[in-house]
Amino acid sequence: MDDIFRIEKYLPLTETTYYTLLALIEPLHGYGVMQKVKEMSRGVVEIGPGTLYGAFSKLMKEGLIQKVQEDNRRKIYTLTNRGKELLRKQIERLEIMTLEGSKVIKDLE
Amino acid sequence: MQENTVRKYKLFWMWQDREEENWLREMAKQGFHLASLVFSGVYEFARGEPRDDVYRLDYTAVDKEEFDDYIEIFRESDWEYIDGGFGWYYFRKPADSESPNEIYTDPESKIKKYQRMFYALVVFPIVLTFFLPQIAKSDSIPLINVLLIAVLLFFVYAIGNILNRIRQLKRL
Repeated sequence: MDDIFRIEKYLPLTETTYYTLLALIEPLHGYGVMQKVKEMSRGVVEIGPGTLYGAFSKLMKEGLIQKVQEDNRRKIYTLTNRGKELLRKQIERLEIMTLEGSKVIKDLE
Repeated sequence: MQENTVRKYKLFWMWQDREEENWLREMAKQGFHLASLVFSGVYEFARGEPRDDVYRLDYTAVDKEEFDDYIEIFRESDWEYIDGGFGWYYFRKPADSESPNEIYTDPESKIKKYQRMFYALVVFPIVLTFFLPQIAKSDSIPLINVLLIAVLLFFVYAIGNILNRIRQLKRL
């Protein structure tokens, strides 16, 4: 119970954090995350290095992502189980949001 | 100093980072490319061909062992690290390259940059205010008191400017 409470304090995630976690379902280095986020969001969300470095530090500190290996100088990151749990909870919230939104969108024209 | 190096003096306050970035870009367009920072307000430029480079200043705390990781994330998206000091890191990239021209791309992280400046500045006036009654009571020369109050007022002004930046970045 206590643990569930703790993970939900991060919700809702910012768009940047959400896409960063979504990208890290597979192990990626920094630039890989930037490219994948741009692709997934159809170019709507671009993440700069200052924003990404801040997100990585925070997510590492909170145990939501981890370093998996280093190839040359590049650090590779991926989700931890805790990160996966958080992402699942955020997706569930988003599903409700889009479901409710799609009910009214045609009345907004 | 090398033959092709030009030294320039120009003062920007902490909250004028955008103005400083624009000035460095204008300098690069004239063929003066930032080479190093000798001290706050003292810049060394390498003379070369004019280029349209975007300059960005980061203000953050990076641990020594994290520094390579930090630089690497910037390098991968075309940002060249130039120099840094006192928590400031100077980067540039060609204006026409594919990656975004901003190092902070969402309001939350932009706000955090100014919040770090705020925390760096706020300590001094708090400490000073705490000691002010004792300083005023002592037989010290009035000039020192006037000076201290002037410094305190300047800090209040600086913090006000930074809070204003943060307010502008906040959204719905």
